[in-house]
Amino acid sequence: MKPESIKYISLTIVFIASLALTGRLVQLQIVEQKEYGRESDKNSIKKIIETPARGLIFDRSGNILVDNRPSYTFIITPYKFDKTLTAEIAKQLDIEPEYILSQIAKATGTNKFNPIKIKRDIDFKTISYIEENRDRLRGVSYQVESIRSYPNKFRGSHIFGYNSEISEKQLADSKEDYYKQGDLVGTTGIEKYYEKFVRGEKGSRLILVDVNGKEIDSYNDGRNDEKSKNGSDLLTTIDSDLQEYAEKLLQNKRGAIIALDPRTGEVLCLVSKPDFDLNIFVGSPDPKKVAGLFADANKPIFNRVTQTKYPPGSTWKMMMALASLATGKITTTSTISCPGSFQFGNRVFEDHGAYGSINVVRAIEVSSNVFFYKLGVMLGIDNYHDYSEMFGFGKRTGIDISNETSGLVPSAKYYNKVFGENKWSQGLLVSLGIGQGELGVSPVQMAAYTAAICMNGMYNQPHIVRRIYNSTTGQETPLVFTRRQIDIPQNYFEAVKKGMYLVVNGSGTAKNIKSSEYDLSGKTGTAQNSNGNNHSWFVGFAPFDDPKIAVCVLGENAGWGAQFAAPIAAALMVRYLSGNTKDIYNESSGAEIRD
Amino acid sequence: MSKKLFSKFDIVLFTAALMLTGIGIFAIYSATHGSSLGNTSGTDYYLKQLVFALIGIVMVVVISYIPPKYISRLSYIIYIFAIFLLVLVLIFGKTINGNKSWFYIGGFGIQPSEFAKIATILAVANYFYRGDDEKPNYKTLDIIKASLFVIIPAVLIKLENDTGTTLVMLTFLIPMFFWAGVSPFLLFAVITPVASVILAYLNPLYLIIGLVVLIIALFFFKKGIVLSLLVLVLNIGAGSSVNYLYSKLEPYQQRRITAIFDPSTDPLGSGYNVIQSKVAVGSGGLTGRGFLQGSQTQLKFIPEQWTDFIFCMIGEEFGFIGAVIIIILYLIMIYRLINNAYITKNKFLSLACVGFATIYFFHMFINIGMTIGIMPVIGIPLPLLSFGVSSLLTSLVMVGIALNAYRHKDVFI
Repeated sequence: MKPESIKYISLTIVFIASLALTGRLVQLQIVEQKEYGRESDKNSIKKIIETPARGLIFDRSGNILVDNRPSYTFIITPYKFDKTLTAEIAKQLDIEPEYILSQIAKATGTNKFNPIKIKRDIDFKTISYIEENRDRLRGVSYQVESIRSYPNKFRGSHIFGYNSEISEKQLADSKEDYYKQGDLVGTTGIEKYYEKFVRGEKGSRLILVDVNGKEIDSYNDGRNDEKSKNGSDLLTTIDSDLQEYAEKLLQNKRGAIIALDPRTGEVLCLVSKPDFDLNIFVGSPDPKKVAGLFADANKPIFNRVTQTKYPPGSTWKMMMALASLATGKITTTSTISCPGSFQFGNRVFEDHGAYGSINVVRAIEVSSNVFFYKLGVMLGIDNYHDYSEMFGFGKRTGIDISNETSGLVPSAKYYNKVFGENKWSQGLLVSLGIGQGELGVSPVQMAAYTAAICMNGMYNQPHIVRRIYNSTTGQETPLVFTRRQIDIPQNYFEAVKKGMYLVVNGSGTAKNIKSSEYDLSGKTGTAQNSNGNNHSWFVGFAPFDDPKIAVCVLGENAGWGAQFAAPIAAALMVRYLSGNTKDIYNESSGAEIRD
Repeated sequence: MSKKLFSKFDIVLFTAALMLTGIGIFAIYSATHGSSLGNTSGTDYYLKQLVFALIGIVMVVVISYIPPKYISRLSYIIYIFAIFLLVLVLIFGKTINGNKSWFYIGGFGIQPSEFAKIATILAVANYFYRGDDEKPNYKTLDIIKASLFVIIPAVLIKLENDTGTTLVMLTFLIPMFFWAGVSPFLLFAVITPVASVILAYLNPLYLIIGLVVLIIALFFFKKGIVLSLLVLVLNIGAGSSVNYLYSKLEPYQQRRITAIFDPSTDPLGSGYNVIQSKVAVGSGGLTGRGFLQGSQTQLKFIPEQWTDFIFCMIGEEFGFIGAVIIIILYLIMIYRLINNAYITKNKFLSLACVGFATIYFFHMFINIGMTIGIMPVIGIPLPLLSFGVSSLLTSLVMVGIALNAYRHKDVFI
């Protein structure tokens, strides 16, 4: 084509496109001018974002655990706001003027046209102040918003978790484009884990407002509106009575309790103490109180059930027994001599007693250390690591609470990294054999492990929520939790369980918690702690023949397993099996039995 | 004397650009004054624009005198520097309204993607430039290489989440190919699959109609059965893969795509702006409501009006007459850009002018079109009018190079 033709063709295209624009302008500005002019004269359109109520949370019997209540939120629309009012408003709301200014400064771009939430849950006096001074307080208003309430006799702080205003970092990281400054977002617990379902979907309304910002009517009869969708409800597996009881058991103590239904992995109760009052985070949280919680040396925010990483002590011995049986290092009848101490290289490892030649059942009953020192060495680091993983250690259990530790199961690779290639001795396996050393486990891992043992190797993923249900749409979101069979012969489990039965009902380390009514089984453990008193562990299940509950109790710096954890675990199991009626707990029933 | 002066200086292009820049400053003043917008008070916007307009005009004059061969030699270096900035902004940039395309230096937001437009046009022009005498014979590989010049920055800009500027980057290549003398059939083979994708997305029936038209066109090209079938298969393949790819996207991504073609499906986002700006433009009438008198503009009902939606301020306060004057000024500019491409004897600057003309046209048509509700809202500024230091300087530098082409229209490199 000749350049000249191209030139004229291009110019023609440009001209026709400009004519199209002009034609549209004729339509808008001349033909339909009256209509648009009227709309513009009287009023203008404003967009209101509607945030739906979060879904509710129920216990396993259908009682409400986490509810909503209406509240009023003080809002400022930055582009209209007269900054000279800042001091006056700060005084009225009892907050710092700098806070208001910093919130306004955060709103950039189109966000200046959206109201910013300054304070939630304001009182009636403040509302009348806004109404009385409406003409003067440009850009200031309030809106109804639902906020959390907790109508319980217990706290459940670490189960539910709290909601807080979305942080700038979260806003920047969110690739979804959903949240706006000032939005509430689930920050811990199941509120965070199921955030996408619980929050619902925001909607919007276009309304006609006059020059003073007063609402006149809906725009286009609401045809451009998008209704907000309420959040879905979470139906949990929590047993409220048991949870309340468990929280009482740990009152003024430091530790963790978790109980599972071993048949399904459902969490019956979950307590981490010290805990905190979720109401502190509701409405407009007092920054001092919140900072106080985070600065507290006892770490109340920290979830000891899922985030602690301590050596399990003697509660580890079932794992050692099963791994050794499965790899053929021992049989259920073979015996090992346990003379009261064990020499490896030139180091001597002590035991709390001499038991003669004993088999694995007896070794668990009396919690012989020498027996398991020897198993540690026999098993070797690779088997040790592989079987630990099989029982869910060294990785997350997948419980539906964010922030779970995977713990630590040492491997050859790990020691090579820490000490250098082959620069570490097999002697490390001696301590690992009795659940000490570098090994780190969390209470939720221990509970799932105990549940798997009592179910003869059926390992269920622990979980708190069993259904997600939207009561408005009737829509149910399916939840799938994993279940797997650990590949170890059944009779090995039977032997180990027999040992656990004798721990309580024989001459074992937890004979102080024997119950005349229920067949409790379990294992004590004491985690050596170089920084203070030892940590007390107990894992158990009941009834022996048909397990309905598996528990793990941890007491920080609370001494021997039989001293602190065992009586609490026993009380909890009896409470549950008695239909939440019996209370056998007696703090002085703890016994200083070495394990 | 004066005649000689103007034979070297494109006074028409210069005046039109100057007028648009001046009107822009008034429009920005009207859209921002008297409000406190976050940290910046309203007056800052038009003052900033004014200062940079003055700097830009000085640049225009200086650039128009640079001997073309230096521009040609520098073009690859400028291009590499632009790519470097695009990478840098991806790593260190600041996110504004979801686009990570900004540097903040001393209170000024700088958008490397704006400068990348000029850099890329110059690089492509330089690549196609093979001396002024012979008529070059471009091979397919040349087309691919030249396309890479565009695709690299386009991908980087897309990663910044700036879809509007990415689309702009993809527009000027075809006209420049055309102007360079690349075979029309090759261009046809490249463009039609893209058209098929869009048609298939809108409605499968449109795709079928498009394919029928394609077959007729292929018949007229008389390129032989193999090539023709290849183009046809390419089109069918592109068109039929759309639904599959679309179904692979996350729901929120699907929503964004749908909203490009139909803003009313996204009342939370772009749909709101379109409704507001239509009311603003419509209420302006024939003569407008007068400077600083438009209620939509003055009540700040239109988010970001001083940038991408500046045209609705013109429409509301200066009316139909004002709006048409703006369109005529752009028409004059685009006419002069195309004309300069036509009369300039050296192919490098000639090609650059074609690229600039495309950019001006695309920005003008899409931006005004989205303001009055006939084009998708893709967030690109109105050259010279919209607030924005990077956009303003880029638009002015283009004018400067076009003036240079006019001054050196008889000079071979």
